[in-house]
Amino acid sequence: MLVTEADYLLAAGEKKMKSSESKGAAATREVGNKRSLDIREHVEQDDYRTIGSPFVDDAKMTARNVNVFYDEKQAITNVSLDIGRNEVIAMIGPSGCGKSTFLRTLNRMNDIIPSCRVQGEFALDGEDIYGEEQDTVLLRARVGMVFQKPNPFPKSIYENVAYGPRIHGLAHNKSEMDEIVEDSLRRASLFEEVKEQLDKPGTGLSGGQQQRLCIARAIAVSPEVILMDEPCSALDPIATARIEELIDELKENYTIAIVTHSMQQAARVSQRTAYFHMGKLIEVGDTKQIFTMPAHQLTENYITGRFG
Amino acid sequence: MDKSQHTDQHTSQRFDAELEALRSSVLTMGGLVERQCRQALEALSKGDGELAGIVARSDREVNSLELQISAQCTDILALRQPAARDLRTVIAIIRLVANLERIGDEAAKIGRKALKLADDAGRNSYCSEPQHMGEGVCSMLRGALDAFARLDVDAAIEVIARDKEIDREFKSLNRLLMTHMMEQPQRVKNLLRINSCARALERVGDHAVNLCEEVIYLVEGNDVRHLSLDEVRRRHGS
Repeated sequence: MLVTEADYLLAAGEKKMKSSESKGAAATREVGNKRSLDIREHVEQDDYRTIGSPFVDDAKMTARNVNVFYDEKQAITNVSLDIGRNEVIAMIGPSGCGKSTFLRTLNRMNDIIPSCRVQGEFALDGEDIYGEEQDTVLLRARVGMVFQKPNPFPKSIYENVAYGPRIHGLAHNKSEMDEIVEDSLRRASLFEEVKEQLDKPGTGLSGGQQQRLCIARAIAVSPEVILMDEPCSALDPIATARIEELIDELKENYTIAIVTHSMQQAARVSQRTAYFHMGKLIEVGDTKQIFTMPAHQLTENYITGRFG
Repeated sequence: MDKSQHTDQHTSQRFDAELEALRSSVLTMGGLVERQCRQALEALSKGDGELAGIVARSDREVNSLELQISAQCTDILALRQPAARDLRTVIAIIRLVANLERIGDEAAKIGRKALKLADDAGRNSYCSEPQHMGEGVCSMLRGALDAFARLDVDAAIEVIARDKEIDREFKSLNRLLMTHMMEQPQRVKNLLRINSCARALERVGDHAVNLCEEVIYLVEGNDVRHLSLDEVRRRHGS
């Protein structure tokens, strides 16, 4: 049996925690302690460990002992995870499990939320991305992001893609810029559809095209990692299939981390899958293993649709 | 984790109901096949031609259940996209059902032989020779179906372990019948019929082992087909 008794106890413990958490929060408020991290929480952090293989040999990004708080509420508890080079890792879990929050820590998108506090060590190719000298604009060029809803700028298709390379000074003249724009649109498999209307507004495209435009925009600044936060949730099945096909092609050159609510999508596009539950990273493994033989009862419950 | 509670507690209760219906269809089919085997054995040893005829023709119901269960499995795969344990349940059942259907074929085969033996005036007492072995096989089949119903891996392994004894019995029965053939050449035809009944029973034992292997796959995710008993036990232990 892969599921040990200890794991089962942990699973049971999750439920208990849920009720004790609210009590604990109340107690913290009572003593007026501004520190949201009390001793009790430390103890609980230690009594769980991620099952499976959170670490890989060839990691593009590493995250260690990550804790994230929104004000006093802890959103992520002691998560350690590697993002492997040129692979697609899918992060799944029920709403509020911390998967999107974790994704956003990878390019410091949480910095712009005042109440958010991030602890832990993060490295991109071994370089500390939360270091004092780290330029977040540059970081977000290296670690690009595609969001749930397509959000093209209210500008032309061309300008949408050219914007990033321009502010980063990647093109020295018009013809170089044209090249970057065409290349990015091609890689996002959008060029053929829009080549006659590059001066038309990006917002006039269909939802699926807009999302591919956003991917082209992310690619244009030559990122190393692309983070995708439910990139297909607003798209129809055909547009979704195109994006998934694109993700598969993009992994040749980029490292991709995708958060998705669709388990079938996670199964289709990723090589590794990470399952989050109530702010904890419960299990990480090869996608095939996670979907045929998950080791943790919580993972099994989630992917088989057994959450009440 | 509690193995027996594996079809309930889905968020979608209709999915629970579908899986439960699937499992109960398999158990119905298993029950039919088991009855067929027992009747075939009885018809053979008692020389009951009427019963033999019933068994020989009884695979129609089993066949239609096989089709029905296959359709249920296809529907669940297409409409529910099952994962993990649910996926293994459906995959295991698809293979279980193929084995059950073949057991039904073997029972019908015994029925046909028994019918001929019963009709034959020169019938002899050797017809009850496979009785003991046949009872062993039927109890293996029962054990396999129980293991499936209760999703009990230990019980499944215990049934697999019994197959060796059946094989041994079949070999010695084989030798015994061969000796009779040499002593009584005029009875070779009937002795060959009895031998092929024994052969069919031995095959039923093998299929019962296959059923148990599917139960282990369903519960633990280990594909233990084509492994030795020791290896199966080792994997279960680890």
